[in-house]
Amino acid sequence: MDVNYVGENLLPGKFGQFFIILAFGSALFSFISYYFSVREPENVLWKKFGRIGFWLNTLSIVAIGSILFYIIYFHLFEYHYAWQHSSKSLPNYYIISSFWEGQEGSFWLWMFWQVVMGAVLVFKAKSWESPVMTFVMLCQVFLASMLLGIEVFGTRIGSSPFILLREALDAPIFSDPNYLSMIADGNGLNPLLQNYWMVIHPPTLFLGFASMIVPFGFAAAGLWTRRYKEWMKPGLPWALFAVMILGAGIIMGSFWAYEALNFGGFWAWDPVENASIIPWFTLIAAVHVIVAFRSSGHGYFTATLLTLISFVLVIYASYLTRSGILGETSVHSFTSLGMSGQLVLFNIAFLVLMIVLLVRHRKAMPRTKKEEDIYSREFWMFIGALVLTVACVQIIASTSIPVFNAVFGTDVAPPVDPIPHYNKWQGAFAVIVLLLTGYAQFLKYKRTNAKSFWRNTLITLAVSLLVTAVFVYITKVHSNFMFILLMFSAVFCMVANARILGDAVKGKWKLAGSAVSHIGFGLLVAGALVAAATNKVVSKNESGYIQVAGFDEVEEPGDNLFLNQDEPKDMGEYQITYVGDSIVPPNVYYKIKFDRIDEETGDIKESFILKPFAQNNPEMGGLIGTPGTKHYLTHDIYTIITASRSDIIPNKDAGNEDEPAGYEEYDEPATYEVSIGDTLRYRNGFFVIEGVNKDAKLNDIPKGKDDILVGLQIKVHSADEEEYAAEPIFLIKDGHTYDFNKDVDEQGLRFRFTNILPQKDKLEIMVYQKPLPEKSWIVFKAIKFPYINFFWAGTIIMTIGFIMAISRRMKENKKVIRKKKAVA
Amino acid sequence: MKKSSIILIVIIAVAIAMIMVIYTDSSTYSTFTEAKKKDTELYVVGVLNKEREMLYDPVIDANRFAFYMYDNDSTECKVVFKGTKPQDIERSEQIVLTGRMKGDEFHASKILMKCPSKYNEDEVEVIEAPGLPTTASAID
Repeated sequence: MDVNYVGENLLPGKFGQFFIILAFGSALFSFISYYFSVREPENVLWKKFGRIGFWLNTLSIVAIGSILFYIIYFHLFEYHYAWQHSSKSLPNYYIISSFWEGQEGSFWLWMFWQVVMGAVLVFKAKSWESPVMTFVMLCQVFLASMLLGIEVFGTRIGSSPFILLREALDAPIFSDPNYLSMIADGNGLNPLLQNYWMVIHPPTLFLGFASMIVPFGFAAAGLWTRRYKEWMKPGLPWALFAVMILGAGIIMGSFWAYEALNFGGFWAWDPVENASIIPWFTLIAAVHVIVAFRSSGHGYFTATLLTLISFVLVIYASYLTRSGILGETSVHSFTSLGMSGQLVLFNIAFLVLMIVLLVRHRKAMPRTKKEEDIYSREFWMFIGALVLTVACVQIIASTSIPVFNAVFGTDVAPPVDPIPHYNKWQGAFAVIVLLLTGYAQFLKYKRTNAKSFWRNTLITLAVSLLVTAVFVYITKVHSNFMFILLMFSAVFCMVANARILGDAVKGKWKLAGSAVSHIGFGLLVAGALVAAATNKVVSKNESGYIQVAGFDEVEEPGDNLFLNQDEPKDMGEYQITYVGDSIVPPNVYYKIKFDRIDEETGDIKESFILKPFAQNNPEMGGLIGTPGTKHYLTHDIYTIITASRSDIIPNKDAGNEDEPAGYEEYDEPATYEVSIGDTLRYRNGFFVIEGVNKDAKLNDIPKGKDDILVGLQIKVHSADEEEYAAEPIFLIKDGHTYDFNKDVDEQGLRFRFTNILPQKDKLEIMVYQKPLPEKSWIVFKAIKFPYINFFWAGTIIMTIGFIMAISRRMKENKKVIRKKKAVA
Repeated sequence: MKKSSIILIVIIAVAIAMIMVIYTDSSTYSTFTEAKKKDTELYVVGVLNKEREMLYDPVIDANRFAFYMYDNDSTECKVVFKGTKPQDIERSEQIVLTGRMKGDEFHASKILMKCPSKYNEDEVEVIEAPGLPTTASAID
């Protein structure tokens, strides 16, 4: 069908597609050239070609990114990616988030960081450049293929971000050449992703993923070029860097979950979270074994295997999150783009590469005949690394249940309650790992004096027991033996490493980095433990609990609290009031006032307003709440809206009130025969018939001689002690009766003075009432997270420790190089 | 025997024990009929009965939401959830419940929904265009 479409801007897409092909081609070219540069080092041309390919690849990737950004920024909705992930109302800084909301954008991000890593390697890696870049470019080839979006032999390879909307979807409007003018707006960004953490978390996480290829490259290159021991020296700072960035990225994701998601926590063992933490664990294990090997010569195979498998697991993680296989088990994985075959291939390629390298070089690997001494640091570092690996096996096994189902055709469901399931295992592993990171610090490499080791350990043990007792008492985690044990291990780890840090300050700076990051890790675990174990739903609906039919047994009160506007309720130590909304499209902010009241004096000790907000986005599935959190040093009060009146009953248009004549809005009237002085009730108070006004006047109608025109003075007293006056009028003109009603809008009342009954000496009135305006209400949930700041602080301290360790290793490497030069 | 061999054996033993325990922790996708026979928490997969009313009145109880669901054997059952009504349940095309049977009611502790609109695959909203459908849906 040839249609001349109007208004499409096809040029950027054509360029973009060109650069995608170029990126793929140049990566392949660079990979092959670097490969031969290793095989035939005497031919310098190969390396030159490899570099040319790499820079071409860099250029293409920057170009793809710029074009894609241009398309999203200028809302070119003829492109599927822009239409699907952005909208015109999106603020600029979220345009960045929509860039990587889709799989294509996040693959681009990965490739971009890999190019940055590659550039550093090209300039700095020297003799390692060719072999390491071979692996980096191989990975780049696979990543670029994910964006190709072309058909080869009937199967589509990759998914291009430059595909047009009319190509992506098959809808009748595309038969109209003018279709573009009919598309009002893009789909917009998922409200959950409209959070500042989403601007910074994905780039950090993908920098972490991308930097994992470099230690893989070094380890693989070490085997390939038979420089078995040497790769660890330049590889270690890279591995530390990858661990640091990936760790920071994962915790940023956890902060995003805490700040923006509504599951009420910071870690849920969701498959997507697990997928990213698995390679982190294995690479941490690898780093420790590498360090141990360099000092003792033990564990070469383990160090290399762990380094290699970490990157294979990164690919496995992207397979899990991107192939759609997690479907029912994960809340926030990507939707499938039908590329799972390609992802499997990517995974298998690197897995096979790893196995081939390890098997082929197994005999040549350096090993020592001597057995490790029990009183040596490397022995326990090794044990620690193995425990971490076993912890990983558990996470992989539980997370991969959908994969096993797909492979073996079974129908096993994952554990019903994942959080206790994982905590049970990981808690135990954490205890062992924390204890090891504590006492292993008192051991030296190769051989330690047992006496000094036991002295140090026992002193630390005593101090830790004391500190733990205090901690457990303050943080109230004494309900469970496992909590106490875990808390003790975390404290032991911190105290032991604090002693090492003390020594470091006295001059042994070498160990400062590891001590600091271990302290950070201990603090992180302690904070996570306390926050997860003692967080408490404070919005328990205890007092206002109503027995409902269908619940015969006594149920526990629910977690959600119902709050009418302006009606204060007690919630723990707070008195809370829902004071109203403010709307900043597309969000509605619900203002909840918290007053902390002194029990004795009744004074308000503290008052603050939390503004959890929600976006009612039918496109994305209704009301999506974002929590409002009050941060204290020792705890957080976390509040989230789970339902509100406005999302069930649409707000009435304010404009309707211009038509007071209609009676439709009122309930059936009540007719009363009254005398002066009578008091009558209505729904929201009472009113008094005060008197008859014989001098009443009507503006438009002159009073005739025989006409009767009387007003009835009524005073309305509402329940909130307001007073209103109304004077309905009764008129007999030329033998006809008329009446003129009066409204009290504030109370939704309408009075008619309909008759005078002289025989009975009564006056007849009719009272109309509007149904009472229903008050605004919200249903919300509030959770108190104690000591969660330890968790964040631990992360920051750990990251600082990594930076210290990296700079130490880099300095060491430089010193070695300088020495070598001096010798030469 | 070398120390490293002993450690290796211990590690392998722990790993095997662990994987076995994981599979005792794992559950099955079940139906309401089976749920009646069992006393454990399990998953039930099914679809919402859109004909029957969903009961949620926060004014009475903010923590009670009830609805009717067909499981994969087309058995209908009343489901009670202690919590607020999930926002997009009307639009769900599949529901995965976690919970257990209590009498004739299924008490759900978790509701997971699969919504076609969650990431909006194939719907193009169109500005008024005479003679054209207002919403164009793609055919998968």
